[in-house]
Order: sequence, then C-alpha cells, then structure tokens
Amino acid sequence: MRVCCGLTSHLELARRPDLYGRPVIVGRWDEHVVAASEETLPFGVIPGMALRQAEHLCPQATFVLPDEEATARIRELISSALYDLAPVVEVRDEGIAWLDISGVATAGLSIRGAHHRLLKAIGREPRLGLAPGPFSARLAAARARPGRLLRVADARDFLAPLPSRELPLDAEQLERLDLLGLRTLGSVASIGPRELESQLGHEGRRAVLLARGLEPDQLVAWRPPLFSSAHRQFGEPVEDREALLFVGRALCGDLADELGLRGAGAKHVRVRLEVESGDPETRESIVRHPLSSAAELFGLIGSWIKEWQPRAPITELWIELPVLEGAGRRQLRLWAGGDGSSEEVTAALERLQERFGEELVWKPTPHLPIHGEVARLTAT
Amino acid sequence: MQAEKLELAIDSIRVRFGSQALTLAAELPPPQPWSSRTPVDRLTGIAGLPRGRLALFTGNGTCGKLTLALALLANATHEFAHAIVIDGGGFDPLTLLPFSPELGALTVVSAPAPEIAGEAAAALARAGAGFLLLMCDLPEHWLGPLESGANRSGTVLVAVVDAPDRALAHASSFSLGFSRRDWIWERGQMVGLRVSARCVKNRVAPPLGEAELEIRYPLGNRQLSDYHASVAEVPSPVEELLQCASAVV
Repeated sequence: MRVCCGLTSHLELARRPDLYGRPVIVGRWDEHVVAASEETLPFGVIPGMALRQAEHLCPQATFVLPDEEATARIRELISSALYDLAPVVEVRDEGIAWLDISGVATAGLSIRGAHHRLLKAIGREPRLGLAPGPFSARLAAARARPGRLLRVADARDFLAPLPSRELPLDAEQLERLDLLGLRTLGSVASIGPRELESQLGHEGRRAVLLARGLEPDQLVAWRPPLFSSAHRQFGEPVEDREALLFVGRALCGDLADELGLRGAGAKHVRVRLEVESGDPETRESIVRHPLSSAAELFGLIGSWIKEWQPRAPITELWIELPVLEGAGRRQLRLWAGGDGSSEEVTAALERLQERFGEELVWKPTPHLPIHGEVARLTAT
Repeated sequence: MQAEKLELAIDSIRVRFGSQALTLAAELPPPQPWSSRTPVDRLTGIAGLPRGRLALFTGNGTCGKLTLALALLANATHEFAHAIVIDGGGFDPLTLLPFSPELGALTVVSAPAPEIAGEAAAALARAGAGFLLLMCDLPEHWLGPLESGANRSGTVLVAVVDAPDRALAHASSFSLGFSRRDWIWERGQMVGLRVSARCVKNRVAPPLGEAELEIRYPLGNRQLSDYHASVAEVPSPVEELLQCASAVV
C-alpha cells in the first residue's frame, strides 16, 4: 500500500482565502474552536478549546462563524478533483486529502496532479507525504515543507522518534500514555498491543499498531454522487430552436466537464423543458453505454431538441442525468496505457445504433453457396 | 538578421515554456506506419499507411481508387479486430470478396446523412477502431474530432472521393491522385485497367512521385470467391530503361 497525503489548512479557513496570512479562528460563541490558522498557534490557540479561551489568548484574531454546508461543498469539490488520480480518495474537513496510489502506473503524475489541484482549490501550497499508510503519510506531510513531498520508505523507523501525542487519542488517554512514560511512538511500538489494550481499551491496541507502522485504518473511499443536472433559465421565453440548441450544447459541455472530473458516465438522460404555460415537457432515455463526453451527450440531446415541438415558448431548459455509472472504466486506465479496445469500438457502434437505429450498423455475413450458386452476403 | 530574431524568439519561448514547447517539424517523430502490403506502401515514404492520419484516394471516374481501397480493407480485416466502412450508399460487400477478407472483422456503417457519417467516424476513431474506410463526404466540423481521435488511437483512416473539398484535402496527411491510363485487353476481352497513382500531398515524408498500377478485374462465371483480382505495381518506362542500362553496363 502506498498512500499520498496532501495537507492543507482546514477547509473552514479555505472558505476565506482573503484572510490568509492573518490570525483567524473559526467557531461559534459558547462553543469550541473548529479551526484556527497557523498564525494563531504561537498564541496557544488549538482546535477544540473553548472559543472564549481562544479569544482571551489571541484577541487580535478574526473570528469567523463556521459554515458546514460551504465546507462540505469544498470537500466535494476537492474529492471530485482528485478522484481521477487514484482509485481511492478520502478528503477530510481538517484539510487532509489521502490518495491510495497502490498499483497506479503513473504514481508520480498522480502526486503532481494532486499537488496542482490542491493548490488550485485551496490557494495555498499543500504539504505532501508519501508513506505505506494514511497515518504515516499524514505525519510525513506535516513535516514536509509547503509544496514539497516527503517520502517515507520504512514507516516504523520514521515514526519511532515522533511524539506519542500524534496518536489519534483523546486528551485523557494521551495523559495516561505520558504517565506510563510512553512519550514517543517508538516506545509505544515497543510494548505489546494487549498490554496497552488493558490500559486504554481498544484504542490502546490500535495505537500500538499505528506506532508500529502497521496501519490498521483503511481509507474511506469517496464515491461521486450518482446524480447530476444542469439548467438554464431564459430571461425571455425562447421559441428559436437554434438558441435552444446553443444552450443545450453549452449545458452538455458543463455536464461533460463535471462527468470528466468524476470519471463517470450517464446511464440515464432526461431533458425537461419548462414552458410558459402548462406542465413541463419531458423526454428521457436509458442508454446502454454511458455517455461522458460533450459530443456524446449533445449527440443524443441535440437530436431530441431538433425534433421537439413544444406547445409554448420555453422558459427553462433542464438536462438531468439521474443515473451515473461508477468510474470503473476511467479508473481502469490508471493501470493501462494507450487507447482503444475492441470493447470500446463495440460500445461506440452500439451507441450509434441506439441513436440512429439498428439498421445503421451491420455486418456482412457469408452464406456458403450451394453448388452452382454464387456466394451471397447478408446483413446481420 | 531575421533568422537571428527568429532564433532569439524561439530561445525565449523555450526558456519560458520548456524545451518541448517548440519543436521543428523535421524533429517530430513520424507517424507509425501500417504495412498494407500494397503498392501504396512505397508511395507514402514510410513503408506503410500512416496510423492516426487521414489518407485520401482521389480521382475522377473509373480509375482504380476504390479497388485499391477494397484491397486495403481486405488486408485490414486480417490484421485488425475492427475494420469499418463508413458508407454513404455506394458500398457493396460483394465487391470485397475477390480480395478474400475476414468478414468477422468487417462492419459497415450505412450513414444516411453526412452529419451521421461524420459523427460515426469521429466516435469510432476515438474508440480505437483499427481501420476506417470512408466512402462519403464528411462535414467540415467533424474533421477535427476525427483527426484528433484517430491521432490518439492510431486508427488508419482512408477516404475515397472523386474530388475532395478544401477542408478534406487540408485534413488529409497523405493524398494519392489516380488517373486511368488505359484498359488492359487480353484475347479480345477487357481484363483490367492500368492506372497512374500520383502522390499529390504527403505530410509524413517527402513526396515520392508516382507509380503505375495494374488492376485486374475478376473474370468468368465461376463463384465469386474463386475470382482472382489483384492490384500490382508495374515498372515505369524510366525504371525499365534504368534496368536495361544497368544490364548493358
């Protein structure tokens, strides 16, 4: 297992790039600090402490209310941006992005891609770590310089000198470790898992495995949402078919970009026209092979629009993709170079048949001639 | 002076955007050839039809361009998993039988309109079909996707048209113009034709002039699969003279 970890600032802080370089504390009044910028660290502010205490320690900081919805959007954005770089991707609000690049043929390209995309999404150079598991990769990233990658070959050797407070334990458990004299991960690794389990419960066993670099935790793979849509509302109701085609093409382009980021394809396509008066008109189809490019999407949707006879002027155009196929096809390419396969050509032929009719594609089949007859060919 | 300025500009682009930002055409790797085992291989200059590029066979009337394309198609059915004909209405698979094709690999797309033909060609080139024979006009806006798709997948593209429009001529990397020289008569029966194939455009290698081809039609009332048709190159008079001269010397 090889895991790359990209470490950035907390995603709550990424919502306000205008405040980069200044002390910022995110949290609600009478609650705990959700996130604090690096500039508040010298004042002793840490996430999890009471906001009143943080204000007392660093009164000059800018206080920002958390926005869980916006943070979730940023997390989804980063996840989808990283999704085609590795088969398993996990992004957390704390500003941690993991990519499991085990088996990826072009791991270097994936790491470089992750660096660029995190920089673009967050606006700050991420720290990168490459190690055999998520825990050691995160610690390696935390020790890398901004924009640089720290590689770890042997996780146990790397972890041994690090303080034991890096373990994901609560304050009380960390204090007990300190009382037991286990102040480095090396000392935690040297005792048996059962011994620490008897002291800290199940968490103790996990802590020993982590300290030994055995990485008991697996990444929780991000999965793209299985629905997507795009729409355009017209200022003035539209009657012109060309205008509708133009907008349809643009929406297909947007959807194709999004599908490309997710590495997904549409198995079900629905077009809805909101008309000036009356119920909306809808047309939908399930496609045998998923559509992912703008040309494929517009090929189908454009043909519908060209023959559509709406009852009234159109006020809004919706293109919905209610069923998206997983990114298997796209991700498989991470292991294989080159383009084109017999299966893809067959899929392309079937897509053409779906759109233009079965009779568009045919294969000449020979019929063995009876004596005295000439050879015949039939279409199948 | 101008050359110095140009060199300076090239250097500054390379410093700013990297050494690969600008490449001399002569330094570009040539496209990979697909050896068709026909006389066309010699004319392309790379010992085969260029993969991922569009080759164009043109000529008015009966001049052998389609027969040669069918010979290529038949060879392609033996070498590729998918040899596909994009047909605008003139393709008869029976005419392919004398060339002994592997029919399992052959697929025909009967496109009722150029728009559909264009879309089908672009989609199949992108998907990685081994060989595409285009027997109809393609709209100009599909030529770009077709070129880029074929370029990525290495599809061999051959188009057969009487007279190409400007866009198609521009999109092609290799263009062969055919003209009929004379008919071949044997025992009072017309058995084929002699044509001149001239390279009128070549973006993959220096143009190599022309060749004279002899195209034999299938004859007799035997079963079609037994007919023997062929496309063979015949030495030009100049080459014959040179051979005679070398023999004398």
